[in-house]
Amino acid sequence: MRPVPTPDRDSRPWWEAMARHELLVQRCGVCARLRWPPRALCGACGSFEWSWEPASGRATVASWIVNHHSFGDAIPSPYVVVTGRLAEQDDILVPGGYAGPPDGAGLVIGAPLSAGYEDLEADDGRVWSLLRWQPLTP
Amino acid sequence: MTAAHPLRDRAAIAGIGATEFSKNSGVSTLALALRAVSTALGDAGLAIGDVDGVACHRVGDSVPAVLVAHSLGIQDLRFHYDLFGGGSASAGVLAGAAMAVATGQADCVVCWRAINARSEWRMGGTGRAAPDTPEYQYLVPYGHVTPPQHFAMFARAYMDAYGVGAEDLGRIAIQQRTNAALSPRAMMRTPLTMEDYLASRWIVEPFRLFDCCLETDAAVALVVTSAERARDLAQVPVLISGATYGSGHTWYSNHRADWTTTAAAAMSKRLYAMAGLGPGDVDVAELYDAFTPLVLLQLEDYGFCAKGEAAALVAGGTTALGGRLPVNTHGGHLSEGYVHGLNHAIEAVSQLRWAAGDRQVPGAEVALSTGQPGYVAGSSSAVILRRAS
Repeated sequence: MRPVPTPDRDSRPWWEAMARHELLVQRCGVCARLRWPPRALCGACGSFEWSWEPASGRATVASWIVNHHSFGDAIPSPYVVVTGRLAEQDDILVPGGYAGPPDGAGLVIGAPLSAGYEDLEADDGRVWSLLRWQPLTP
Repeated sequence: MTAAHPLRDRAAIAGIGATEFSKNSGVSTLALALRAVSTALGDAGLAIGDVDGVACHRVGDSVPAVLVAHSLGIQDLRFHYDLFGGGSASAGVLAGAAMAVATGQADCVVCWRAINARSEWRMGGTGRAAPDTPEYQYLVPYGHVTPPQHFAMFARAYMDAYGVGAEDLGRIAIQQRTNAALSPRAMMRTPLTMEDYLASRWIVEPFRLFDCCLETDAAVALVVTSAERARDLAQVPVLISGATYGSGHTWYSNHRADWTTTAAAAMSKRLYAMAGLGPGDVDVAELYDAFTPLVLLQLEDYGFCAKGEAAALVAGGTTALGGRLPVNTHGGHLSEGYVHGLNHAIEAVSQLRWAAGDRQVPGAEVALSTGQPGYVAGSSSAVILRRAS
């Protein structure tokens, strides 16, 4: 069984948005800096004021790995994990699955991505949505 | 001329000890800790009754510091320090002990790391709960769980930025295996060739098997007391000249967009200033090496060469035994064994005592011993040690 997300009180609305296939980030209400994952305080200016904002889903490849060893058997190897650097702000780095080839063929750092989603049903029947980065052909 | 840092050379490492390194110790982490502590006290010429402080680090995989204190029979414990963290916290344990001794909180602090990292609590997942941080919720559903996966993600960004290739990583693994062959304690002593390295299976690209450290059952311990008291004990004192804590990259550190320079770059400036020394003064460096690229990153970020030049430094022989700056003389986590940073510290002490046998760096006076330079954990630590004159 694949592990499902374990939201906390900061992240629950974010995972709920993911289930609607929306990728949210927080925007600081004072300095307007974006942040992810969800946190109560802006690390740039110290403000507790913030709002949710949908991200465009455009990103570039910050890095990726190709898993060969069987790490817990949750996902059959080989499989790829990609960290996407969001177009909105270069220090927002979001890991996700990958819709391209499972051996990572063709991936290069800086290549364009768009956010996709994969729905996953848990043992209790609840459906979770996970990020699945899609390669974009320029 | 600025005043010397108040911690510089105030505390010393007076004793070291280690258990056997194995794949299955057959005993509890409490028993391992007690054995290593007892050996270290004997090495120092001290007894349990001299100990009034305890310090360790762990990641939910070992016994609490105070349980070891109680098991030792310490009635009036004056200092206890139980750091959450893996390798990133290792040198921080020594830093905490040094501060306790320098400020008079304690006279004699035993420091240790005790883990059954192979037979009980494998970092790769077997037997352990999810790490105690909310960030893992964004990783685990993607099958992105274990240290080799996490470090591979960071390492690729570094390798891509500076043109570091497989053979550059292979040279680290080979050089450390060569050193391990000279260490009776080392678990991996069969020589490794570049062909062996390149033919080893992928664990997680860009890491092959030999890019990854061992998982080991073991404990190591160090006795920290004042520099003054250490002079009257059994061994040549090894002074703690610098001891610092630093930051790091967690997965999602906003404000840290660049993964190719570690937090050690900023921390090392403070470390050298505290010690009153520079990179050119370091005779031997024990650099935290859970995975091969960390050695390259630290050679750069501790100031031994410019960014992107570490692979050439290694290829040129500088970091081999006999080179200008021997690195991981014991074989490191890759080949000696994995005791989460503190086996590096006891090797540094052995080198400065001129007691490292066939792998001795002749006349070594100053050693750098580092913790993990900050990835994943978001924290780092390191010490500069100096042979007392």
